[in-house]
Amino acid sequence: MTAPSHPSGWPVTDTGIPATLVAALARNAAESGRTTAFREREYGIWREWTWAQVLDEVLAIAAGFEAIGLSPGQALTVVGDNRAAIYFAMLAANALRAFPVPVFPDVPSGEFDTYMRFGTPDMALAEDQEQVDKLLELRERIGRPSTIVYDDPRGLSQYTQPGLIALSEVAEKGRARLNADEALRAALIARARPEDIAVILYSSGTTGLPKGIPLRHRNVVGGMANAEKGGYFRQGDVLFAYLPNAWVGDFVFTLCAGTLLRGSINIPERQETALHDLREVAPTFYLAAPRAWDAMLTRIQVGIADSTPLKRRLFNYFIPRAIDLERRRLRGEPVSLKDRLLHALGNVLVYAPLKDYLGLSRAERAFTGGEAMGEDTFLFFRALGIRLKQFYGQTETCALTAAQVEGAVQINTVGRAMPGVEVDIADNGEIMIRSASVFEGYADNDKATAEALTPDGWLHTGDAGYLEDDGDLVVLGRVSELVETAAGERFIPTFIENRLKFSAYIRNVAVLGAGRADLAAIVCIDDTAVGYWAEQKSISYSSYAELSQLPQVQDLVEREIARVNDLQPDHLKIRRFVNLHKDFDADDGEVTRTRKLRRKVIETNYAPLVEALYDGSTAVTFDATITYEDGRKGSLRRDLTVREVQPWT
Amino acid sequence: MFFRRAGISHTRYQQERQLWPLPIDRLTVLAVLAFLIAAPFILDRLYIVSYLLPLIIWSSAALGLNLLMGGAGQIHLGYGAVIGIGAYTAVHMMRAGIPFELAMIGGGLAAGAIGIVFGASALRIKGLYLAMATLAMQYIVDFVIVQFPAISGGSQASLQVPPVSFLGFPIQGDRTPYYVALFICAMITLFMLNVRRTSFGRALVAIREKDYAASIIGVDPFRYKLLAFWVSSFVGGLMGAVLATCYYRAISPDQFHLDLSIQLVAMVIVGGLGSVLGVFFGVSLILFAPILLNQTIALVADTTGLTLPMDLRAHLPLMLYGGLIMGFLLLEPLGLAKIYSNIRNYFLVWPFRHSRQ
Repeated sequence: MTAPSHPSGWPVTDTGIPATLVAALARNAAESGRTTAFREREYGIWREWTWAQVLDEVLAIAAGFEAIGLSPGQALTVVGDNRAAIYFAMLAANALRAFPVPVFPDVPSGEFDTYMRFGTPDMALAEDQEQVDKLLELRERIGRPSTIVYDDPRGLSQYTQPGLIALSEVAEKGRARLNADEALRAALIARARPEDIAVILYSSGTTGLPKGIPLRHRNVVGGMANAEKGGYFRQGDVLFAYLPNAWVGDFVFTLCAGTLLRGSINIPERQETALHDLREVAPTFYLAAPRAWDAMLTRIQVGIADSTPLKRRLFNYFIPRAIDLERRRLRGEPVSLKDRLLHALGNVLVYAPLKDYLGLSRAERAFTGGEAMGEDTFLFFRALGIRLKQFYGQTETCALTAAQVEGAVQINTVGRAMPGVEVDIADNGEIMIRSASVFEGYADNDKATAEALTPDGWLHTGDAGYLEDDGDLVVLGRVSELVETAAGERFIPTFIENRLKFSAYIRNVAVLGAGRADLAAIVCIDDTAVGYWAEQKSISYSSYAELSQLPQVQDLVEREIARVNDLQPDHLKIRRFVNLHKDFDADDGEVTRTRKLRRKVIETNYAPLVEALYDGSTAVTFDATITYEDGRKGSLRRDLTVREVQPWT
Repeated sequence: MFFRRAGISHTRYQQERQLWPLPIDRLTVLAVLAFLIAAPFILDRLYIVSYLLPLIIWSSAALGLNLLMGGAGQIHLGYGAVIGIGAYTAVHMMRAGIPFELAMIGGGLAAGAIGIVFGASALRIKGLYLAMATLAMQYIVDFVIVQFPAISGGSQASLQVPPVSFLGFPIQGDRTPYYVALFICAMITLFMLNVRRTSFGRALVAIREKDYAASIIGVDPFRYKLLAFWVSSFVGGLMGAVLATCYYRAISPDQFHLDLSIQLVAMVIVGGLGSVLGVFFGVSLILFAPILLNQTIALVADTTGLTLPMDLRAHLPLMLYGGLIMGFLLLEPLGLAKIYSNIRNYFLVWPFRHSRQ
């Protein structure tokens, strides 16, 4: 199959839009070459690249990559924080018909080979010395990657290992080639085909080894066209690139949206400055995981608790009213003139300053997804006037499946299927999807592919859900997550956990109860919020473990659980809980890198705890195994208290 | 509440150092400037001549003193004499037919030359001793002006300013003098705002904090102390010329006595040492508080029918005025500018708390 082609030489789709990311880049450079494409904060000021400059840079890197041996169909392992140069290199790999495989930067070198299984990855791009060290260690162990390209040269000048080369040097080689051969430029632009793989992302690996999910150019181009048609994206959005680039949310919502729809991609200086930089950017499109929105809410709540009496009173007066108003609006109830006036006043006094503080005053399209969001958080931000919407999607569908539509937002649904997306519910209640953005099979895993895709292109999402009469999709949870108590009551633990996690004091929680008489919970307190609370009450503590076991803190957690219990049916209330001496940690395998709970691991790791929760004892001694960041293991003995939850009054 | 800081980003360090990085600040400055320019057309003549014009002139002069006291930390109790030198030099030059623009600069140069001589004492002495030295300057200059008829035109005489023009506009009536003073005030304000961002301004700050520490890090105290005295005296002399031409129209020695020096020092301290905005606040308070208090007390006495003894009625405003200054300085020793910045910070981080130092 040969794709149609634009007069200037890049492949286009039937509707005339660029058919690959590289083609979109060339289109942007040709049509809006002087528009700012990328901005990256460096030493406090923003460095800018126009589309024309980005194209030059990408082509130079591509020509350089080719010179040092990146061949079509090969993978380029990419590891590091968000950097403009890393995005350029990802597009450059695409130009060569190779593809980037981004890996989460906090993956330890021992686990790294899990993410280097597809496309014979012999070349890797590392952000800095830390990642280079990791890759060198990996090379000693498995012999790959033989070429390591690095972006930030700091600390690397004395490295003599073979195959180590700076990205700037690669680009220099490429520029020399481009100067020598004038036809190369056009050839590089036109080389990538719509059916080429644009990226391989990994499934979270909640159940076993992460699967490689190749997304092709036609998937992202098709998905983005659908999303634009539905009004979820617009041309020229200001985007903020702070999400880990191994997550589909960053690849699709930042790099693809920016390139395909000519947005400007703003990259914070470091992860630590992201919140500050967000305010400088004030993006018009903002995507954050529910957890990040929760953290933002916690930050506001802590700040207000510490504020002066007048400001605090204003906040406490206006916010509940705004939330109530938003709730009524979503229900479609009429809003009285008095409410409108009060809202306008509240906007001047509270909402607008808060939005400005967060840097979301221009965020016309704010999204959350990845997991269910607490209703309270959701309503809080909508009440501020941020049009926060939930979207639903999997890596397998480029995350572009369904999203709420402004004007018809219902809290319990994830909205409607985007234009061009077909949704169906299988007999067992599983959500099925067919769309241009659905992938074409897992990398080197025909068995999994056969399980996930029907021959006529429907994707088994593995999520349980149903369609409402107006077409809104309701997602209950994973089909595999539906569990039953001993009495046969069905529930989804994540749902209850998310409600609990709305409390500022609870960072993580695992709700147990499958096959048991009633529910119990293992709680990880949020040490920032609880620590601050303890400070205010003059309660002294020395560590997370000690803080979590203080009777006052247990009372605090008990109150939070009792409050959630109030919303639960009687037979699904949490009866007992224990405060864990540490937070769940990805290094201990208790949560995935995207911070989803691995229930089996938790239940095995904390088996004595689980027993204590159900055998009526009031205390338990627990030998904790700890994996340090460098991979060593240690052991700690902890005495933990088990608490009954009294009804909340 | 009023401040919006989202979306302000810089691509160059120069942008980051601009005077007013927040849009609302730029808007405020423009609004104030527009008001001052439109004032002669919207306000009664009385307000221009007896409120705005003196405010502008004294603020410009106090800015010069503020550079020395707030910027470089050198006390000066003879600033009234510096202004006097400038005024007399300029008036004599104008009477000799030299245009106002040149006479103004001549006044500044003369004041700078004499100011730097007395400023040289600051090289050896500090604090109270420097206060005494500058006080001596006040008395010496007063004495010289009065005792030399060639300068003062006789001890009881006043020197008339001949009709002059500024850049082609004849300085007469009410509006032209106001605009001339406003223009010069704007120039001096801009200079003072920017001087803090220059190496000169930073050198002065270093000397203010500790002069021998400054010399250790390579700031020459000799050079910068003299420069500070020179620049400050130049501004004072320049404003003496403007004062004589735009406001007094005729000068006599008693206009530049010690009480003027003390008043200027009070303006700078009440406003907030080192703050440009504070100078305007300080001058407003010192100039207008007595008038306002007088009127308020008269109004209260008249409406309540309270009969106050005549001398109490005359002195009560002064007592309140003194109390007001003490009150402000007790509330915030760093002056009105600091009070303003506290209020600003309160709103800047709204609805969160601002941590006060």
